Parts: sequence; structure tokens; C-alpha cells
Amino acid sequence: MTQVPRGPAVRRAGTEALYLLVSAPVALAGLCYAVFSGALGIVLSVTRLGGAATAAVLRGACRFGELHRRLAAVLLDERVPAPGLPRTRAGLRAWVQDAHDTSGYRAFLHLLVRFPLAVLGVAVVLVTWVYGFLLLTYPIQLPLHLNEITTRDQSGGIRKGLVVGGFYFDTWQRSLLVALAGVVLLAAAPRAVRLAVRLDVAVLRSLLGPRPDDARIRDLERSRSYAVEDAAATLRRIERDLHDGAQVRLVSLTMTLTALQEALPDDTPEHARELVAAARTGAREAIAELRELVRGIHPPVLDQGLDAALATLAARSPVPTELEMDLRVRPSAAIESIAYFCTAELLTNAGRHAAARRVAVSAVQPGDGTLRLSVTDDGKGGARTRAGGGLAGLAERVRTVDGELSVLSPQGGPTTVTVTLPLTTS
Amino acid sequence: MTGLRVVIAEDAVILRDGLAHLLGLRGHSVVAAVGDAPALHAAVAEHGPDVAVVDIRMPPTHTDEGLHAAIELRRVHPGLGILLFSQYVETRYAAELLAGSPAGVGYLLKERVSDLDDFVDALNRVAAGGTALDPEVVAHLLGAARRDDGLTSLTPREREVLGLMAEGRTNAAIAASLVVTERAVEKHIANIFTKLGLTPTGSDHRRVLAVLRYLRAP
Repeated sequence: MTQVPRGPAVRRAGTEALYLLVSAPVALAGLCYAVFSGALGIVLSVTRLGGAATAAVLRGACRFGELHRRLAAVLLDERVPAPGLPRTRAGLRAWVQDAHDTSGYRAFLHLLVRFPLAVLGVAVVLVTWVYGFLLLTYPIQLPLHLNEITTRDQSGGIRKGLVVGGFYFDTWQRSLLVALAGVVLLAAAPRAVRLAVRLDVAVLRSLLGPRPDDARIRDLERSRSYAVEDAAATLRRIERDLHDGAQVRLVSLTMTLTALQEALPDDTPEHARELVAAARTGAREAIAELRELVRGIHPPVLDQGLDAALATLAARSPVPTELEMDLRVRPSAAIESIAYFCTAELLTNAGRHAAARRVAVSAVQPGDGTLRLSVTDDGKGGARTRAGGGLAGLAERVRTVDGELSVLSPQGGPTTVTVTLPLTTS
Repeated sequence: MTGLRVVIAEDAVILRDGLAHLLGLRGHSVVAAVGDAPALHAAVAEHGPDVAVVDIRMPPTHTDEGLHAAIELRRVHPGLGILLFSQYVETRYAAELLAGSPAGVGYLLKERVSDLDDFVDALNRVAAGGTALDPEVVAHLLGAARRDDGLTSLTPREREVLGLMAEGRTNAAIAASLVVTERAVEKHIANIFTKLGLTPTGSDHRRVLAVLRYLRAP
């Protein structure tokens, strides 16, 4: 804690006491919330609503934590950064999942711990500031009969004034002793209050502040998002370069060979004609191969949007494919690319492994910031995510952007693979 | 046969020149060779060519400028033949352009210039109001499944015939390609029309409708 000059020290002592008093009702409300919502959460946890209910409870606890952090920031100038995830992932499932992390549990624990601390804080303020003031003014109160205490002594006589262990402070000389005690209390008040505040802030920091790993996680997430988007941009650039470079050269070469064929004089040996024809064929095949390669890198149709790309995939699918799309917001390039390659792979799987006769692809945005892609086939089912398998590879790819892949494939089919992706990577 | 008057829109100069040279070998004249969509519109308006050869990816975004230009050209100059000239098969490109009517439209991959006779033949067909679809495009569309539109009831042979119709072949050419008689092809086509529920109101029109049905975007 920094050294403060003497003048502001008085004000500081005041705001610290104020903090203890103001934060106490918040702590009481927090405890009530924790007890009631916690009980409700436990009751609901046996139902299907359990996850969502506890998520709501934990998110509420985080709100209380935020209020506490703000009080500390405004009154104490103690700025405790918020813990946990730097971003909120899109989608209801993510909303539920993200709530069940340590920062949520810590915020809930803080609600329980904060209340006894608040009681202690209020007690400290009462004992030091309020009693100190009352004792200091005792010599004035006594003759004015303010806050008069009436007791009976051992002999049965009525005595007025404070009594401590049979000693009566009922003369003005003795009342000065009381005032002296008041001075001592008031002198100790700022220190006592500060101690209480320090304890409170220490608990606040440890339960509501960031943990050492949080900053690193945030950093990693940011750099991963950059890496994923950068990779998508690089692939697109490679595709452009191939289109404007190697592919143009090859087409030009084909044209030249065609012109050469036309220019061959009539008496050209058959052998030479065959060589030119072979060269033309070779160039044509190279173009076709390059085209397939490019499609694996970055299909050009993706530039027109995911809907156009998926329509082309569905049209090219070996299994009759129905397509349902409702894409209002255009996802980022990396997301579009992942969605495209997932669909391509799943369509191939449906044809190759599942022996499906029909496939339905749907790509929708439920409006919670996600893209939900699902591929359903009427094949034989029994698809599993095996380590090193195609589905596991897809799941890994989806996870690089915090997406999810789930497989529902009973023996005998049908198989539904659902991929949920955020619309952006960060 | 008099040579065609051709406008080329293609942003790679080396390909513009190469194509102009090849077409010149067959007596066709390239009246203008331009590098982007606005220049294409201007050149068509100025020269009134028989056919425009249009690259799909052109500046400024290099995505589908050529396609949009082609659709616009068809609106402004209905009689103009348009041959899309691309390095890619994207069925949506074809479907978008053919959405109105497939007459006078073609979509060929660039490497098709390796067979000059076929290429010039396709260009002639498009200029004359026919269609010319790349076999690759047709093959991709063949894989496309559509809901209950009669296509699924076609036999493999009928689908083959329909594919060749979509490429823009005449009955005689289809017969030659499948090594059957023209009479057999006519029978197949009649079956296709029946299965697709196309009533006889003039066979050319039905031919177009059948191809359209076939090409319709999924």
C-alpha cells in the first residue's frame, strides 16, 4: 500500500469506514442470494435444467463479484481486474459451459466468505469510530443526562453513569478518564479499519481477481485466433498466386502448344505430331491436377460466400444431397474454410463409409453468434470418433476455433454429425 | 463460313494474346481484348460482336466479376453469345448464368483450348444461340441431386443423353458420341421429356426446359 500524505489520510480513513458500511448490505444480499439460489440450483441439478440453472447461479455470483470489485475501485481505489475468460463465447451451450469454470465457483465462494468479513468490518467501525465518539463526549453527556445509564449498586442505591467492574464513572473527574479512553479508541480507529479493509481486499483479490494463468490464457487465445485467421489468409493468397501465376502459365503453354500443332507443316513426321499431342495432353492434365490441388487449399468459390461454396459441394457430392441454408451473417474466413472442409469430408464419408443413399446438409445461424452445421445421412450408422480417424481429425480442426463436433450414429443409422462453430475466431 | 467477331475479357494479357492468336488461325477476328468488366461493357457496346469470351475472375476482387458482367450483358444485349472461360468448375456459376435461358451461353474450362476444333466449335454454337457446357461442368451437375423433380427416375443412359444435351450437342452429335443411331437418341429424348413431365409444345423449347431442369441449382 502506498504512503499517503497526512491530509488525505483523514479522508482515506473516512472512505475506508464508508466502504465497510456500504459493502455490508451488499454482502448480506450476496449471502441471501448464495443460499437461496444455491439451494434452488441443487434442487434443479437433478433435472435437465440443472446445467443451465447452476450456470445462472454462478453467473449471478460473478455479477455480485463485479459489484464488489467496483465498490473497492470507487471507494478504496483498489482496482482488481476481472478474472476468467476475456471473451464470452457464442451459443447457449457455451454460456452454460463457460459459467462452470473456476472464476464462477470462486465468486460463489466469495459470497459465502464475504458475509462474516462484512460483520467484522461493521463491528470494527462501530467499536472504534462510534464508541470512540460516544466515550469522548461522555463528559458532556453526563451533566446533560444524555444516554444516561441507571444501575443499582451493591448497597441498593441508584447510581447514574457508566460502570466497569464496580467502578462508577459518575463524577466529572472520572468522566475525563472515559473521554481519554474515547481518544485512544478514535486514535486506533483508522488503523483498525484499515486492517479490516486490508483483510477484505486480500480476500477480494484472491477470490475475485485474476489468477496467474488467466493472463497467459488470454494471451494464448489471442495468438491462436491470429494464427488461425492468418493461416486462412495465407492459404487464400497461395490460391490467388497459383491462379494468377502457375495456372496462367500452364494455360498459356497449352495455347502455345495448340498453336504449334496448327503451325506444323503437312510433311511433319507422325512422330513429331505425336510428341506435340502428348505435350498438349500433359499440359492439360497438369492444369486439371493443379485445379484439384487448389480446391484442397482454398476453393475459389468460398470467396463468394459459404452458401455458394456449400451449394457447389452439394452439387458435386456423389450421394444425392439436400441442402438447407439460412446464413444471415458472414462468418470470418477461417470459420468459412473450416465449415467448408468439414462438409466436404462428411459428404465423402457418407458416400464412402456409410453407403448412404441420401444426405441432408443444413447450415443455419440460430442467432446466438454460432454457425450450426449438420450433415445427416441414411447410411448404416455406427460411426465413431476414433483416435487418428477422420472424424477425430475434424473434431481437432473444429476445436482450434473453440467449436464442437458431435456424432450421433446408432448401428443401422441414420448418422448425424453436428458441428457448432463461432462466427468469428476471437 | 464468315469469321466470328469476338470480344475477349480476360485480365491475363498473355492469355488474351494467346486466345486471339488461336482464334485468328481459324479465321475469327478478335475486335477487342479487355481486362475488366467495365471495359467489357464498353467494348460490346462499341463493336457489337457475335460472341464474348469472358473470364470469371477479373479485377478488382478477382472473384466473380465476369459472371456478373455476363448476366448484365445478357440483359442488355439478348442476342449476344457469351462463353464463360474459367479455370474452375463451380456449378453455381453455371446455374446463375443459365437461370434465365441457356440459349447462347457456354461455360468452358480454359484448358479446352488444347483442342482447337472443339473449342471453336463450342464458340460457334454459342454465337449461333446454342449452348456449350464443359463436360466437367456437366459431370459435376450429374452428381447433383435434386428433390423429386423426375430426374431420379431417369435411366443411366437417359442421364447420359441429357448430359450431352446440356453440353449443347445436337442429336446427331449425341448419337455419334454414344455410338448409337440418331433414332435411338430421339427415343431416349422422348422418354426424358415424358419422365420430366414436359408436354410437347415444340421440341426445341422442351429441350431447353429439360436442360434447365437438369442444371437447376440444388
